[in-house]
Amino acid sequence: MPIKQLVLGLLLPTIVGGGILIFARSFAPKKYATVGYEKEQDGFAGWLIAAALGAGYIIGYLGLEGLPVFPPRLGTQWLCYLAIIGLILASFWHLAVWGPVAQIAISIIIPRLLLTSTFKYTWGPIEGIIWWVGLAVVIFMFWYIVEGSFSALPVGAPGPFVYCGLSGGTALILALSGSLRLAQHAGILVALFAASWMITLVLHRDRKWFVFPSSASPIVTLLLIGIWMNGYFFAEVPAVSAILLVISLFFVHVKQIKVVQGFGTRHSTLVQIAAIALPVVIAIGIAIARSGLFGDDSGY
Amino acid sequence: MKSTLERNLWFSRMGIFVLALIGIGFTGSTQVVNAANTYEIDTAHSMIIFRAKHNGVTYNYGRFNAFTGEITMDEDVSKNTVEFEVKAASVDTGNEKRDQHLRSPDFFSAKQFPVITFKSTKVDMKEGKEDVLEVTGDLELLGVKKSITVDVEITGRGEGRQGESLIGFESVFTINRSEFGMTYGVGSVSDDIRLIVTIEAKEK
Repeated sequence: MPIKQLVLGLLLPTIVGGGILIFARSFAPKKYATVGYEKEQDGFAGWLIAAALGAGYIIGYLGLEGLPVFPPRLGTQWLCYLAIIGLILASFWHLAVWGPVAQIAISIIIPRLLLTSTFKYTWGPIEGIIWWVGLAVVIFMFWYIVEGSFSALPVGAPGPFVYCGLSGGTALILALSGSLRLAQHAGILVALFAASWMITLVLHRDRKWFVFPSSASPIVTLLLIGIWMNGYFFAEVPAVSAILLVISLFFVHVKQIKVVQGFGTRHSTLVQIAAIALPVVIAIGIAIARSGLFGDDSGY
Repeated sequence: MKSTLERNLWFSRMGIFVLALIGIGFTGSTQVVNAANTYEIDTAHSMIIFRAKHNGVTYNYGRFNAFTGEITMDEDVSKNTVEFEVKAASVDTGNEKRDQHLRSPDFFSAKQFPVITFKSTKVDMKEGKEDVLEVTGDLELLGVKKSITVDVEITGRGEGRQGESLIGFESVFTINRSEFGMTYGVGSVSDDIRLIVTIEAKEK
């Protein structure tokens, strides 16, 4: 990866996102870990965490792609607008009615906007409607899972670690599937979640404050879904890998199984992370097998 | 008697000459394009080749294997038209991994934009050059439509096996891919792409 892309696509979002996260820390309630998840999400600190992810991604996008074109034509050009939509939604997320209404509306609109050309060139009217409905349901459900994962994952480092791994797996699969450009976009998310993880580890001893607020769910959901849709519909990401990535976060709830709870806090968290990581690892394996990485025709 | 014979001979010679002229005229008219003839591109004898510089060092060549097109040739050159449709996924550089990358959103985004199109908007004879047309038209790549003007040389005319009228063209021109939003890897792969389009078309 050229130095310019490394700096603009990874270092710059890390600095911006990380900077906002550190700034957010000063607004976090001191005994946050005991105060509870719901209280924090209404606060300015919670919004700043969402803003750190959104702004960090936008900075990374600008570094890689330059100013976004309007109206967007390429699938990748939509990603910047998805981050902006996510930021706007994050700002109003605390309004009780707003969340579910926005979730339904955005889940319906996104596939139609992002896949305009697929509707035009690939799908017939009936096939298009089936895909549209199916994708809208998947986006809505994934959004619900993402929001749930923020509270289901333990406070502190596990949250950003899991999302760092998921984004990293996505970047690897995209690179193996022939789109280094999309892999770089997933790389921006890796940089942001890695920054959150590192900050959490460093600050963990004095204050267990860090958790993703539910207002961050629009940004995380829209960016991951946007990158995956680009990867599956416009690049060569295998269908099974795409499905495994989407369902991986569902396994966050493995911790609710009584047997797993019996392992104790530390071990049950490890089981939880392993359960999420397993489908991601299988998805990577499938992408490697499909890519012919170790075959005769492995490079150019 | 002699003068009558000479006169008859003169008339018969003139008759042969006139017939010959008419004959030449007919033959000539098959070489000059008839009014508004429509030609279909013979893809087996046509090629769209492109050239890009890799790492500023070497020229790499590739081609598109699937394309269709139609050309209308009129006695009034300004009424001539050219239309092309190239399947982006048919890009072929002789290396499957590279072709897969070229089909991806990094370059042609062939799933999102399956076709590259060209449609002429204006055709003129190139000033001072015989058999060279100046074709202006809209090239649409990655959903971006840009007007380009290219010189097209008429490389030959003739007949096919079934007696169908054939016409050949060649055009060599350069585009900047970044102008169409294909910005990935500019630097390691040159921005300016030279295209060599050589066409054999047969009358419909």
